[in-house]
Amino acid sequence: MKEKEKPGAPDEALIRAALGGDEEAFRELMERYKNRAYHVALGITGDPDDALDVVQEAFVKAYYNLKEFRFGANFYTWFYRLLVNQAIDRWRKSSRSRMVPLDEKWLSEEVSPPESVMYPRTPENLAQNRQLSDALTRAIADLPEYHRAVILLREVDGMAYEEIAKVLHCSVGTVMSRLHYARAKLKEALKEFREG
Amino acid sequence: MDCKKALQMIQNEIDGRLLPSEAAEIRRHVESCGSCATEAAAYRWVGEMLRLWTASRAGEKAPELDALWTRVRAGIDERKQPKESASWVRRWLWLPAGAALAVLVLLFYPSDVSRAPFHPSSFEVAVEDLESDTATVALVDKGNDLPRVIWIIENDKT
Repeated sequence: MKEKEKPGAPDEALIRAALGGDEEAFRELMERYKNRAYHVALGITGDPDDALDVVQEAFVKAYYNLKEFRFGANFYTWFYRLLVNQAIDRWRKSSRSRMVPLDEKWLSEEVSPPESVMYPRTPENLAQNRQLSDALTRAIADLPEYHRAVILLREVDGMAYEEIAKVLHCSVGTVMSRLHYARAKLKEALKEFREG
Repeated sequence: MDCKKALQMIQNEIDGRLLPSEAAEIRRHVESCGSCATEAAAYRWVGEMLRLWTASRAGEKAPELDALWTRVRAGIDERKQPKESASWVRRWLWLPAGAALAVLVLLFYPSDVSRAPFHPSSFEVAVEDLESDTATVALVDKGNDLPRVIWIIENDKT
């Protein structure tokens, strides 16, 4: 496959090229999905370094298992299965007991964060609101791992229930119940921040 | 629609899983019910916070993500290496095996070195092995420097 054709090429064309030994085609696939993959891995592992390792390892696995990909299926559904399993494994091995440090700056009465930080509308606002950011990190970490995966795939990645079911090898009904449970738990855990 | 039913369906409405008529019914209820409106807003807020949270934390590793291919490439090479070293082992495995065979030949080779040099006209063919059960016969030429099997007859087949 020619270099200039790769950016717009369908996933399947890139997969065929990669299977034929074209590493640049595989690289293009990776560039396409790395950010989405990182967001999901970060949500599941809760740690940026772990997430980066997970994404790297998932792409390496994908490279070696590409011959098992069934044409006609979605690459990202297939890839996310590797990614989510990898992320859950990593979480089990290294992050379960990791505590999220509390930023005590805004716990004091005298210092209040500005309105935009209190009720964040941008990632930058949220990054400044360490209390909410840490509370989110803890609330996500407190979810059972497959519930965490479901809500991240749905809310962050925008996957349909059917796609999530394929990624996690479960029924659409299970996806729905896990998602509803996870949303309700997060809603409850973050209540004080929403109500101000 | 009552609140109990509305609360069961709010998340499905957020995820776009209702029929247009059901979604319209939920929206009508939420517009007229303060507590259900609060619930619906809270669920949407959770989703928004999750997206902001991942986006804010993703920025921490932006340079590493830009250079991800280098890491992936290294991972691919790292996995290739054990295979390559395994094939290297297979490639050179014959060396110790060959050496062992050579030692065996030297140990069991008859020490009679005064034998006449081999010539095709002076074959000294001997029946070296005779197994009555299988009717296997091996004809061995011992007139050469090295004994060698020159024929095997097994059940009248060669």
